[in-house]
Amino acid sequence: MIEYQQHTLSNGLTVLAHRDPTTRMAAVNLLYRVGSRNENPSRTGFAHLFEHLMFRGTRRVPDFDIPVQQACGENNAFTTNDYTDYYITLPKDNVETALWLESDRMTGLHITPTALETEKKVVIEEFNQRYLNQPYGDQWMLLRALAYRVHPYRWATIGLTPEHIALATHEEVMAFYHRYYTPSNAILSVAGDIAPERVFELAEKWFGGIENTTSELTTANAIPFEPRQTAPRREEVRRRVPADSVTIAFRMGGRTSRDFYLCDLISDLLAGGTSARLYRHLVQEQKLFSSVNAYITGDIDPGLFIATGQLLPGITPAQGEEALWQEFEALKRTPVTAYELEKVKNKFEAETLFGELNVMNKAMNLGFYEMLGDQSLLNGEVAIFRSITAEEVAEASRRIFLPDHSSTLIYLADHDQA
Amino acid sequence: MIKHSPRRPSIVIPQRIDVPRSVSHTLPNGVQLHVIDCTEREVVRISFVFRAGSSLQEVPFSASATANLLSEGAEHFTSQQIAEQLDFYGSYYDVSLDRDYAVVTFCALSKFLPQTLELAREILLHPSFPQEEVTTYCTKRKQRLAVERSKISVQARELFSQHLFGATHPYGVVHPEERYDTLTRSDIIAFYQRHYTAPNCFVVCSGHVGPVEEGLIAALAADIPQGGDNSLPQLPPPTAERFAFGPYPDAVQSAIRMGRVLFPRPHPDFIAMQVAATVLGGYFGSRLVQNLREQHGYTYGAFATMVNLQETGYLAIATEVAAGATADALRQIFTEIERLRRDPVPESELRMVRNILLGEVMRILDGPFGIADVTIENIQNGTDNGYLDRFLHEVRDITPERIREVADRYLAPEDFTTVVAGDAALHPDIEPILPKK
Repeated sequence: MIEYQQHTLSNGLTVLAHRDPTTRMAAVNLLYRVGSRNENPSRTGFAHLFEHLMFRGTRRVPDFDIPVQQACGENNAFTTNDYTDYYITLPKDNVETALWLESDRMTGLHITPTALETEKKVVIEEFNQRYLNQPYGDQWMLLRALAYRVHPYRWATIGLTPEHIALATHEEVMAFYHRYYTPSNAILSVAGDIAPERVFELAEKWFGGIENTTSELTTANAIPFEPRQTAPRREEVRRRVPADSVTIAFRMGGRTSRDFYLCDLISDLLAGGTSARLYRHLVQEQKLFSSVNAYITGDIDPGLFIATGQLLPGITPAQGEEALWQEFEALKRTPVTAYELEKVKNKFEAETLFGELNVMNKAMNLGFYEMLGDQSLLNGEVAIFRSITAEEVAEASRRIFLPDHSSTLIYLADHDQA
Repeated sequence: MIKHSPRRPSIVIPQRIDVPRSVSHTLPNGVQLHVIDCTEREVVRISFVFRAGSSLQEVPFSASATANLLSEGAEHFTSQQIAEQLDFYGSYYDVSLDRDYAVVTFCALSKFLPQTLELAREILLHPSFPQEEVTTYCTKRKQRLAVERSKISVQARELFSQHLFGATHPYGVVHPEERYDTLTRSDIIAFYQRHYTAPNCFVVCSGHVGPVEEGLIAALAADIPQGGDNSLPQLPPPTAERFAFGPYPDAVQSAIRMGRVLFPRPHPDFIAMQVAATVLGGYFGSRLVQNLREQHGYTYGAFATMVNLQETGYLAIATEVAAGATADALRQIFTEIERLRRDPVPESELRMVRNILLGEVMRILDGPFGIADVTIENIQNGTDNGYLDRFLHEVRDITPERIREVADRYLAPEDFTTVVAGDAALHPDIEPILPKK
């Protein structure tokens, strides 16, 4: 249970404060409602490149990291398809340093052409290291391209290709900044042993003077709606990987729909822990896969349910696929038992509690649920999970696990090259 | 756009840190139980630490197999029943293994602690290592290891251990994945009986641990059997080699690992070397990151750290760089090492590094799970949480000259082991760069 208070500054900045008297650390989280979904399709990877540039300094603070580190702090950021999140943890006595730095880079970003060129190289190396130079590293990129045709979820946050990153210009960087990095497009959340009134006072002091300039946002390009999928999709690739793999993705509902919780629960039935079905049946008993997993993407707009596994030697992808489909069929046909349902609900409750043990996670959660537009979910998801019935699980399975709604990606190990 | 700009806030450096001390008891079987009570959380974490790491195994993979198969079947419950019940209570179960220790951890909601401990009893005291589970495990792990080894970073890491310590040294040895084919159930049982015993064990618990909870945990820990073997093998001296190259066809990046064997944490120069390593590559604005990432754009990240093992310790530098930049990246790393040996660290940079280390300690102590991790590490090193006070004192008092002096003494480039995994075409360019003895 995370208690909090909320306040909005006159420039539109949303501020959330959670008091935790048990810690000397404070966490400051600043979330901007912009992600790779907002990118120009010929400049994919831009939101993530921009996140890197936010550390390249302002006129007043040429190196963002130095003052954070001087204040015994640590900071980082990440970009998703839906939003970009910046966070700092530091001793609570230095919380103003974090607010000062975040307010400064909300208005004063100073990117030189050299800094842009170097950062493009760094991001291209990140592309290489994480996506191109790893076995199965491009799996997520291939799967997105297969499952989505028009929605910007068809590309990963790193982008479609390193060339897009190389093409980014200084003008594009500044236009993106002015368009999306504004108070009313941001959510500030603070957790620590600080009274909420004090947090609001400090927010006013550091952010209150920033003018809001988001009129352009109202004319922002609408995100294209992904049309209904009507036929199975499939791709097979040959790669230098140690084992064949099978991945099947299904379309599911958005983050705030009940579908999300149903799918989350189903993914736990299939793959939440070593007692879950896929591991028990397909790894332990049938010995088809060396590893299996099922998870959901958790995107704001309708996302994906994914089941995936690496095959043991001598097992064909067709056998692996068949086995996964039998698990989907079992979910449709046989209602889950009260015991199994209780198990995944208990697990969800414990994981929620384990995830609320430090100030960083709490500040991040506050920002995330505010972005979703439904703060009741912050402390309400355990109850939603608890309310799910066996019949609902079967009904959702019948609706979701349809061949016509599936995208299947097969990796064939290229042993000649290995 | 900004109407007024308030002045930069002043920074407060916490003058002391409240390090929670553990309350310790010795149980009748000799096991030490360390308790850190943070009652405000309705969760409990218990870690059973055994001197059962991979350097103690005689049969390849027997240490990790023992640790990983503890929960795969016991006297009263099958593997599936254990997994089912742990999941049913939402209890988190984890086994981590390093070269010296196996740590078996349970986290439970307070309301499910008794049930979780009942399972812990089966897992720790009555594992049966069923033949079928052993067979499945070996097949699976063999394949997973092959997957891991197809990663350039793993290839570099293994090559580095081999060449830093020597290919047959317990800290350096790398076994072919085929050795899983000959690992037997009796190898695992033998390892379990020798190492999962009271003389090899201590227990750390944190979270909501009142008298009732403590009593339940002590009752289990007191039943860990006596016996086994806690004599420690005399490790041979490391036989470091200067250079190795691992070919990785068409790699767009090269993985670089460099370092040298030094000493374990109790050594009087360890903390000074830890500060030196932090200056070099221990944080995001470190010299290696500034050079390789910010100035040259060769890499996404670069790190340097002092690694602490039970019998020794070593400095390690790691980065992955664009293939074409490999040779120059190595040159830049040696340049940064030379600078650290030659010039005292500017006071402003040192002040920042001190604050980073202070902040790291405060951050890890935020929350009962982090406190347990710190406590375990201190006990492994033969100290207690009072060590953190001494650590922070030394960090606060360290001088630029002292850092220069230890860097000069311990970081002579000709003493380094350097390993590169990357495109074979790069090989001829690299060896000539390395400083000669």
